[in-house]
Amino acid sequence: MKDGKDLADYCIKYGSDQNCDFVEARYVEDVARGLAYRNGQPVSGGITPSAGIGVRALVGGCIGFASFDRLETDLAEKTVSTAIKMAKNSKRKDPIDLGDPISNKAKWKVEAKHHLADVSIDEMMETADELNKRMAGLSSYVLTINPRVQKKYYVSTEGSEIEGELSYLLMSTTMTASSKGGSEQRYLDLTLAGGWERIEEANLYDVLSDEVSHLKQAAEKAVAVKELMDQPIDMIVGQEVAGIIAHENVGHPSEGDRIMGREGAQAGESFWRDLRLGESRVGSDAVNVSEDPTVPKTSGFYVYDDEGVKARKRELIKEGIINEPLLNREFGAKFGMGSNAAARASGYNREPIIRMANTYFEPGDYSFEELVEGVKLGVFMRSFKEWNIDDRRFQSKYTGSEAYLIRNGEITDTMVKRPVMETTSVGMLSAIDAVSKNLTFEFPGTCGKSDPMQGVPVYAGGGEIRFRSIRLGGVG
Amino acid sequence: MAENLRSLVDHAVDMGAKKADAIIAHGVLSSDSQVRFSESRIDIAKKWESLRLEIFIVVEDAKTGATVRAVSTKQDVEKAVNDVISFSRTLPDSMFYAGIEEDVKDYPETTGNYDRGIDDFEEESSDVVNSIIGAGLDAGAKRVAGSLMLTNAESFFRSSTGPEGSRKSTGFELNVRALQDELDYSGQGLLSGAIPSSKREEMIAAGTRAGRLSKEAIGAAQGEPGIYDLVLTPTVAASIVGDIPRRANPFIAMIGMSPLQDKMGEQIAPDFITAYDDSLLAGGIHSTPFDWEGTPAQKTTIIEKGVLKAFLHNTSTARMFETETTGSSRLASIGMGARILLPGASNIVFENGKNSLDDLLDVDRPTIHVTCNWYGRFQNAQTGDFSTIPRDAMFLIDKGERKPIKNMRISDNTMRMLANIDALGNDRTQVYWWEVRTPTLIPSMRVRDCRMTAATQ
Repeated sequence: MKDGKDLADYCIKYGSDQNCDFVEARYVEDVARGLAYRNGQPVSGGITPSAGIGVRALVGGCIGFASFDRLETDLAEKTVSTAIKMAKNSKRKDPIDLGDPISNKAKWKVEAKHHLADVSIDEMMETADELNKRMAGLSSYVLTINPRVQKKYYVSTEGSEIEGELSYLLMSTTMTASSKGGSEQRYLDLTLAGGWERIEEANLYDVLSDEVSHLKQAAEKAVAVKELMDQPIDMIVGQEVAGIIAHENVGHPSEGDRIMGREGAQAGESFWRDLRLGESRVGSDAVNVSEDPTVPKTSGFYVYDDEGVKARKRELIKEGIINEPLLNREFGAKFGMGSNAAARASGYNREPIIRMANTYFEPGDYSFEELVEGVKLGVFMRSFKEWNIDDRRFQSKYTGSEAYLIRNGEITDTMVKRPVMETTSVGMLSAIDAVSKNLTFEFPGTCGKSDPMQGVPVYAGGGEIRFRSIRLGGVG
Repeated sequence: MAENLRSLVDHAVDMGAKKADAIIAHGVLSSDSQVRFSESRIDIAKKWESLRLEIFIVVEDAKTGATVRAVSTKQDVEKAVNDVISFSRTLPDSMFYAGIEEDVKDYPETTGNYDRGIDDFEEESSDVVNSIIGAGLDAGAKRVAGSLMLTNAESFFRSSTGPEGSRKSTGFELNVRALQDELDYSGQGLLSGAIPSSKREEMIAAGTRAGRLSKEAIGAAQGEPGIYDLVLTPTVAASIVGDIPRRANPFIAMIGMSPLQDKMGEQIAPDFITAYDDSLLAGGIHSTPFDWEGTPAQKTTIIEKGVLKAFLHNTSTARMFETETTGSSRLASIGMGARILLPGASNIVFENGKNSLDDLLDVDRPTIHVTCNWYGRFQNAQTGDFSTIPRDAMFLIDKGERKPIKNMRISDNTMRMLANIDALGNDRTQVYWWEVRTPTLIPSMRVRDCRMTAATQ
């Protein structure tokens, strides 16, 4: 990494001599290895190392970005000059302000007992074999397993110097279970953060066995239950569904760049734009949603963000009222609140933009049993499959994968076929009357945003959530 | 620089051929740029420079591996080759390898794929963007956002089995979104192609189109869930219907993600629907004279007069399925890190129709004109059950009136929608943007009896 760090330092030195307001350089070294299987049989493998430096320059209130991948001094000079030139070409009338200078110096890394770089291909194949065994009997399944280590070195003309190391065990499977009545599919992200020891700590094999069993049952047993469509019902969702709701209906609309329109043509804007922080109600009193990059052993973990700002927890919604947006330096200045360390760049060749890390419903006071006891007629949606949400993050759809009929305070053996929760964000969050105390992060995912696309690993979760008087959707 | 590219690739193949059964190496030198804008002003201008070496290797008969990485020197190349060979030797045999192209063949010519004026155009791209913003505002928008991406690549490849070739390509991708002060009223203008310097006026027209649509969307009312006929713009048709021929792929079928499995020879669309994959399309964004392993590229008819006629193949899948390669080999990523040679589409092309947009919208049943969609997701890719969200301007045509509506979702089945197309427009357009990552040349179309849903609360 030394050559890359030296060259990043050189970029700053070179940029300092070019009469610009601010220059930052981010050296990122990334190594991912991968194995892919189809129905237990190996399809392919590969190794993808990448390294490069991204440079961002602020000149006269305009921002330019340039990157290069061959660690050569002349390319470094050319890239810094290009970033400055691109900034000047922008000819922006209202200047961008990054707020107060940031000059942090730190080193941090994700804790890993069995470092992913030390895991042999044989170990990876043994694990893959075990995972594939758990999926035997499905009509189709594809497994990918990709240990990835990313090292970063961030420096700026303001004096920041941050060195960080991330470690992800990216794993996913796409499964199809078939029966006489048709097939059910599920994409399951199994990503873990940390070292190889996380596989055992997370009971990965058992988790997958359960998911496979539930998918098979859904294909064989799930039925449409007419009375659920005829009237408003209560709904309880599991932590995975709570996680996707926290991410999509709360996390995304809280992003400051969306609120102020910067993602207007790509990921979209936000219904928070027309609301007032600390005043506008978007959910019931039971709704408390937070964002926290400092949770260990999560994909969203970091200690400093990609602008060198120290990470901290953000409380997005407090007791149903929007409280704090996610901010980087540019939008921290625009909101007058300063950055809350939400800047992430997916690689050296991407600009840092506002991203989520770990988004979740704060735990409530209830046990899961207490949530169920209070339901006369309803559905327990433990997991989901198809989902989408509009680009203001106001109208969402979540289709159940594993779902059960609740009757008279008990979860029955009747599996409900693909129940659809199709609501507005406010309509849904306002229907929440209770959250369980069982906080877990059961939704690992890769969050996509921006153009060119930036996929960053995130976690999401919550306790189980109870919604009152929901009308199932998907009907036209 | 072309000579440097060639010498790096040659070095990889010469070295790899001594240690492996086969090696294919591609060197790709690229120089891309982008201007992003929102709130009617430029947010950031970006530039990317890269030189990457892509290697696919076969060792011990059927062990395959691949790597992609930046290289500067022959020492970098040697490390890349040695790494991928030693890594591949540790792997089991691949179930998806049955050979690569072994013959040296002449390659067809492709035209309209390289813009000699791209460097000059890049210099003025900020000015072009400001003109686009102005056009959107002049047409009635209050705010304009978007991005203009320019790509410029030069590549050389060589296989240890003999084939080699080189190509240069350029491209552009413009996405303009015009908005009113209210979040609900917006319109989109898209334009993509290979020769940006000849499209300045059309780019500005895309800004005008977006602005006009956003103005026409003012006052949009909540749509009522129900069954409607839909008129899809090329943008929406490319996302929903264009996805089907993209899945005429044996690998996608084998992993349970294609609705075309077991449909060969069946009538899956009306007889006026013909669609093909055309790697040689003049001006096609992904046009190429050869596929990744060096087989000459071609035009392959996938749906002919509504009947499923062919899947796309590379050498391996053609041998597995006892058919001929269609010159469609791509080095595909599976997850992060793993790569494999698989068939893949280049440019999907639907035959044009004869109807004007006015003809398509001259209806006697409630019909919704959907101008843009995003966030398509499958409930079941094997059956085609899916939903997607119309965004930007959408209009209900009912009893001779056209009214803007909003907040609905298409919740239907792609195969059923393909079968229910009842008319094609004559406005065939190349679509390539966030939602459609395989360039798709497709006209507007009217589809009968589609299910539209909306939030229940």
